[in-house]
Amino acid sequence: MIVALKMIVTIRILVVLLAFPALGQSIAIRPPHTVIAGISFSVTTEGSGSATFYLLGPSHVVKKTIQLGQDLPISGSDVATSGLYQLVACDSSGCSSADLYVLPSSPERLSFLVHPSRVPVSTANAINATAVVSDRFRNTVVAPVTVMFHFSSADARPYSRSGPTSRGIAWLKIGSTTKQGPLQIVAAVGETSEARVIQQVASEACGLRMQATSEARSVRLRTDPVRDCSGNALPDGTIVSFTKVDDAGRSTVDTPLKKGVANAQFTLSGRARISVACGVVLGNEVSIAGQP
Amino acid sequence: MKRIYHFARCLGIPALLCLLWVWCADFPGFSIQAASLPKVTLNAESISPRPIEQRTGEAVTRDYAHAWQDLADALDTNRIELLNDCFTGEARERLRDRISDQQKTGLRTRYEDHGHQVKAVFYSLDGGEMQLVDEAQIELTVFDGQKTVYRTQSTYKYLVLMTPGADQWYVRSLESVAGDKP
Repeated sequence: MIVALKMIVTIRILVVLLAFPALGQSIAIRPPHTVIAGISFSVTTEGSGSATFYLLGPSHVVKKTIQLGQDLPISGSDVATSGLYQLVACDSSGCSSADLYVLPSSPERLSFLVHPSRVPVSTANAINATAVVSDRFRNTVVAPVTVMFHFSSADARPYSRSGPTSRGIAWLKIGSTTKQGPLQIVAAVGETSEARVIQQVASEACGLRMQATSEARSVRLRTDPVRDCSGNALPDGTIVSFTKVDDAGRSTVDTPLKKGVANAQFTLSGRARISVACGVVLGNEVSIAGQP
Repeated sequence: MKRIYHFARCLGIPALLCLLWVWCADFPGFSIQAASLPKVTLNAESISPRPIEQRTGEAVTRDYAHAWQDLADALDTNRIELLNDCFTGEARERLRDRISDQQKTGLRTRYEDHGHQVKAVFYSLDGGEMQLVDEAQIELTVFDGQKTVYRTQSTYKYLVLMTPGADQWYVRSLESVAGDKP
């Protein structure tokens, strides 16, 4: 009785195995959990016979026929993009899949942005620098690295700052120096560096003064050389406004700086008060007695 | 209770509702779910170094949702041109390459999008870049011709860099990152 029962069970198992051949030799695919972008590696496959293999990546798809039961080499060029990949092997019995994370390689690229391109001198927190660190395949290097920022200009001692990246981004804000001219900012990670140059320009006028030379019915006005509070000459073309108030009313002359100074001439009608301004800065005021 | 009732009666219920709306609007959270768009919820509480403006948050949320819709359509139909409206730079290049490979191998990928919990983590001082961390609930199916070769439903994490254009925000970088928080 027991022997007959055993035979029945054995026959049933054989029937099941014959009906589903894959059950006895199921396919499986076993990649490493993580690999580095651009590095070749092997995937272990289990089963027998041929199968269709799929590598499904963020920017790349591979489809090819493989022999199960053998190690499957994957080229580094197939995993250049970091991120999640799906590896799938399918034969007539079905499909088997596994996930693989490709991690970024070492830092080799910098996207470096500096804002603004022109900045007034002696202005606190006026310059923003942002660096995005990526590997040679342009994958963002998520692991923290230190970015060095080097600053140099013609008249000031060079100096450096450093900042760690957070999710691939390092940033800082600094003030401009006191001297106008180009300021070079270099961001560096390891052997990689990127340079940007911004222009530091004179700030607002400081201590604006004019001299008046009166003639019979007119007055000639001339400013002293117009400079900011750090002694930088304001660029030629900067507008200086002269305003006269006399018996004839109020009149204003806007004139650009030429060779660092501004000139103007007014016809007078009685006693006049004349003031000078450049941007938001007011200069001195003169009072002149003209002929009525 | 009596005082509250009296206050509400004086001020009027609509005015109280307006106050409540204004109070809620101050929180840096944005959400969008149009009929055909994936649900995107943006949390900007921990963003630095500058805060996000209300309208910017709404625009980023809207444009990021559109980007995912375009991504899903492009990968399902293998039409590269669908990427042009919302993607730029590296993100567009990579998706183009993926679709190009899908065309060559006869594959297509279907994204069933079940929503995005997005955290804005970086907004540059000049307003030129915004970095997001997205936890996306996605059902992913890959077809080879008519045959399904891969199907899974999972939470995927993405590191996203968005940059502003003339009238919208573009996805410049979209990288899946490992399960632990990047």
